Amino acid sequence: MDDKDLIKRAEAELRDAYDFDPRDPLFGLKKDDMRGNKISRRTTLRLLAAGGALGMAQVLPGLRPTAAMAAAHGGGELNCAWAGVGEITTLDPAQIGQVLQFQIASNIYSGLMHIDNALVAQGDLAESWEVSEDGLEYTIKLREGVTFHNGDTFDAEDVVFTFNRSSDPDQSRHSRVIGNVAELQKLNDYEVKFVLKQPQASFLTKALERSSGRAMTIVSRGGLEALGLAQYGLTPIGTGPYKVVSHTLGQAVMLEKFADYYDPERPKLDKISIQPVDGVEPLAAAIEAGDIQYVGGNPVPTQLVSRFQENPDLAVDIKPGPGFQSIWISPWHEAMTVSDFNKPLEELKKEKGFMVRLAIAKALDRELFIKQGRFGYGVAAHGTINPAMGYFFDEGLAETSEQAFDPEGAKALMAEAGYPGGAGFPDLKLQTTPNTKRDGQVVANILKVVLGINVIVDPKDFSIGIEEFNKMDIDLRLGGSGGDYDPDDGLVDWMQTASKFNGPDRDPAAMPFGFFSESEADAAIDQQAVTADPAARRELVQKANAITSNKVACGFLYHPVDVLVHSTKVIVPEDARIPGLHELDRISLA
Amino acid sequence: MTDVSVKDLGDDLAVPDPVQPKSRLRSVFARDRKAQVGLFIMLFFTLTAILAPLIAPYDPNEMTLDMMTNPSGTHWLGTDDLGRDLLSRIIWGTQISLFVGVSTVALALVGGVILGVVAGYYGGWIDNIIMRYIDLQWAFPNFIIAVYLVAVFGTGLLNVIVAISLAFLDDFARIARSMVLTLKEEQFVDAARVQGFSDARIMFRHILPNALAPLIVQATVSVSYAILGEASLSFLGLGVNPNTPTWGLILADGRSFISQAWWLGVYPGLAIMLVVLSINFVGDGLRDALDVRETGS
Amino acid sequence: MASYILRRLIGSLLVMLAVATLVFFMIRLVPGDPIAAMLADSGGPEAREALIRKLGLDKPVLVQFWKWFIAMLQGDLGNSIYGNNQPVTTILIEALPRTMSLAFLSFIIALVIAIPAGIISATRKNTATDTAVSLFAFLGLSMPDFWLAILLIIVFAANLQWLPAIGYVPLAEGFWPWLSHLILPSIAIGTGFSAIIARMIRSSMLEVMQADYMRTAASKGLTMRVQMLRHAFPNALIPVVTVIGIAFALLISGAVVVENVFAIKGLGRVLIQGIQNRDYPVVQGAVLVVSAFFVLSNLAVDLLYAVIDPRIRYS
Repeated sequence: MDDKDLIKRAEAELRDAYDFDPRDPLFGLKKDDMRGNKISRRTTLRLLAAGGALGMAQVLPGLRPTAAMAAAHGGGELNCAWAGVGEITTLDPAQIGQVLQFQIASNIYSGLMHIDNALVAQGDLAESWEVSEDGLEYTIKLREGVTFHNGDTFDAEDVVFTFNRSSDPDQSRHSRVIGNVAELQKLNDYEVKFVLKQPQASFLTKALERSSGRAMTIVSRGGLEALGLAQYGLTPIGTGPYKVVSHTLGQAVMLEKFADYYDPERPKLDKISIQPVDGVEPLAAAIEAGDIQYVGGNPVPTQLVSRFQENPDLAVDIKPGPGFQSIWISPWHEAMTVSDFNKPLEELKKEKGFMVRLAIAKALDRELFIKQGRFGYGVAAHGTINPAMGYFFDEGLAETSEQAFDPEGAKALMAEAGYPGGAGFPDLKLQTTPNTKRDGQVVANILKVVLGINVIVDPKDFSIGIEEFNKMDIDLRLGGSGGDYDPDDGLVDWMQTASKFNGPDRDPAAMPFGFFSESEADAAIDQQAVTADPAARRELVQKANAITSNKVACGFLYHPVDVLVHSTKVIVPEDARIPGLHELDRISLA
Repeated sequence: MTDVSVKDLGDDLAVPDPVQPKSRLRSVFARDRKAQVGLFIMLFFTLTAILAPLIAPYDPNEMTLDMMTNPSGTHWLGTDDLGRDLLSRIIWGTQISLFVGVSTVALALVGGVILGVVAGYYGGWIDNIIMRYIDLQWAFPNFIIAVYLVAVFGTGLLNVIVAISLAFLDDFARIARSMVLTLKEEQFVDAARVQGFSDARIMFRHILPNALAPLIVQATVSVSYAILGEASLSFLGLGVNPNTPTWGLILADGRSFISQAWWLGVYPGLAIMLVVLSINFVGDGLRDALDVRETGS
Repeated sequence: MASYILRRLIGSLLVMLAVATLVFFMIRLVPGDPIAAMLADSGGPEAREALIRKLGLDKPVLVQFWKWFIAMLQGDLGNSIYGNNQPVTTILIEALPRTMSLAFLSFIIALVIAIPAGIISATRKNTATDTAVSLFAFLGLSMPDFWLAILLIIVFAANLQWLPAIGYVPLAEGFWPWLSHLILPSIAIGTGFSAIIARMIRSSMLEVMQADYMRTAASKGLTMRVQMLRHAFPNALIPVVTVIGIAFALLISGAVVVENVFAIKGLGRVLIQGIQNRDYPVVQGAVLVVSAFFVLSNLAVDLLYAVIDPRIRYS
């Protein structure tokens, strides 16, 4: 099946998935579709769509034919390095705040559900389930014969315990995820019923899922009691395919196959060690020496990628990355003031403040940035909608956007604004984190060369930087988002006036909005969030995206790529390759 | 054990001959090969620092696409990960290193001497208070103090200089104080007092000049530590402006590219070592000349 | 004598208390909001409030200080406000053996290099050997320890791959793994230190030897040599005792940067990371421990001298 057919089929699936009446509590599905011990791909797609979590990135992987796998043995020991981090701070789902922690935890715990790469929702600790007609009651039959790593039996009490713990904001930082649950009833030792306040499509697929459903990842009350909160975060006890043998903070997490795991087919490996490796050179040394066979955690440093690709003992898999990075420009700086984005573009272009803003965005030589800053790995960005969103990504925007790289145009704008060649323009501070300092230097250099303005790179620890950004106490800032699989992650979270990152802590008297506020975009974003038909939604998404691009919500810079590096001896089947996650129970050694 | 001087504790130093230290200096330097070499190297670096804009072959901040190229005819020491010429960066880095080294010690010297002389001369409760503070500072390795101060007050040239000089204050204060204690009882002080000179004048015009020797030696030692300290702070990301090419910073930035560009890890460190070495040679010569026992740190 | 000891002890204690107080208030001057950083993407205002309450950061600073102070006296240093809130005491107890191992090995390496070097250059004063040894001493003294660390990594870990580049393995897991991870960082720290010791040994041996030489000018040959060594060397060790006190300062300072390069989570690294994360309790605890060691080692040296030299007891 070639790419065109693939996309056609994907679009057909998307159309079908979005084909329902949003008022229908069962989202156009029949009760029978939503019960049983497995949910078909079609049903899962529908639920994801209704929950606002469905895009090309979810659909495509399951359609690709899986190559025949080399004979996979069971057993063996895998040494992993988790990049860019000095320690795995916690593995307690209630406290987990970093994706890299979750990548490990999802192998130690189980959720009630698990959605595989083909988007078939299977029961994990749930054996079968039923949904009521009004979509408010989910009755779940739990799997029997499951034990925790410490020998305790798993039953309904554990579900109740986890639920209570996660709903308490003092104990868990993910309490909002299950905010829609009115109550959880224990029917008997192996049956529970969730009663929702409102019908929620994403309940099964998000709230209860092993990977993303941190709120309902089942924790061990016996373990918590025996170890205490702090130790439990280091050496947790769950029901997952691997158990923690040892872990001291800053040292490797040692995992061992859990012999009594309920699925005899998994996990394949006997032992796994996960060593946090902070620093670029140690990582390269470790994997090239063969001390490490698999890299997870934070993104692999781009300066190493081509070197790894040339290494015959290593396999490198690159997928489009779900995210974007931008240069945020304060509209309240006196040389760049834009107090009203609602004016038509032509009128805005006559304002000095906007001219400077647009000049900066136009001056961003994205290709040069990617080459110099990212060693060639990345895709130029002109909006929050990234290539991993497949269907929704607008390839033409790179040509049509006002922000497209245009040094002559940028210079002309600066001159028109009264700063020919950058003369007389004040110095600007570009806030970065210590890790992105280098990227900032490349951008500062580009702006100097093209516009002649002086940009001073200001690396700040993340805790300070985020504080300033929330207050809009910046000139320029380099930052963005990761893990954006759905247009909502980009548009709703960032581009609306009410977005959570849009200057929430600013002084509203001095600054009516944060970094951007445009009513047409706001409206389009609101509408696309509730539009069922994928074609119609796509139109709205791309319309909003174009507005944010043309009116310079920020200077969009690039979309990162997702790089997986491992030894050729390690077999990673396609259904274990989910960008951002590491399904270690499906990996094996050749 | 009476004819062997007890190892000094910093509080008990030999009193130098107050007559003609200068001629002694001159004679020692004439003979001491090591000190000569040191002086020569110091001169070389000082000139480099002053003439940096003229002798650097490239703009130290100019980024090119020749990233991580080997040392060659066009780039004598190679380029870094952003295509900047390493030689030019090292040349410009000399300015900061020398400036920080000298200014921090100058400040620490002045501050420490004032504190130490006042404490030693007046004694009593003034001495007590000042000594308590010195003891407090003494409870910390100098470098940790500097790190802490920079973390609290922020980075940047001024803050780094203040932080390092504050960290070295206790060394100078102690020496000054103990010198004053020893000299206080000397006859020439009594004579000055009888003549009606003010306390300040006695402290700074009569006692201090005789106490210079160990202070000078400490100063040279401290300059080398200050330079190393600034490099370490820059290396930890706590140094001067992250956009200026200081040697410690070049090493820190180059760390992630060492296996692809070894020159980034070798040359900046070599520069630091040479400067510090030259200062140590000169300091050693001074110490021999002024006949001051080693005080260790 | 007893009163001297008592005075010094009380003095040291007061210094430590003053340090603790100073550190408590100063770290709170550091800009940056640790809560915002911890919650960056997840959790709304309720999570933030809950976290602040949980960490006790909502109470006035003086109240926080009092509570911390009382707790500290009972041995409880509070919990880290970062990550999974480990007790600070646990963090420090884990970090301490690493820095201690590092310091210990560095010290040994320093002595192993310095003692023969110092003796050789003293006994062969002004010969070519002396000059060579002196030169090496100077080089060692002038090298930034983090630079030496990087060079060692380039040569031994990246190129030759004889030794691991980073990390730490506790002694319990085997002698060689423990040692192999500590060799490179110990050399990095120990080299500079050995230079100092070597020079001290040399200069104090020379002093003593000169005095002895004058007295035994009549004797010649082997007898003189043996006599010099037998009498001179122990006397020469006395200055080394001073250095032990300073040793700790140098080793800890060196450790801060070298631990960073080798990613060893010892006291130095804990301190730096604590500062970067605005993790107040951890910084307080680490600074307290560092200063405690330093004060105690100074105290020990002073007391040692009081035993050796009666003059000092009455100062």
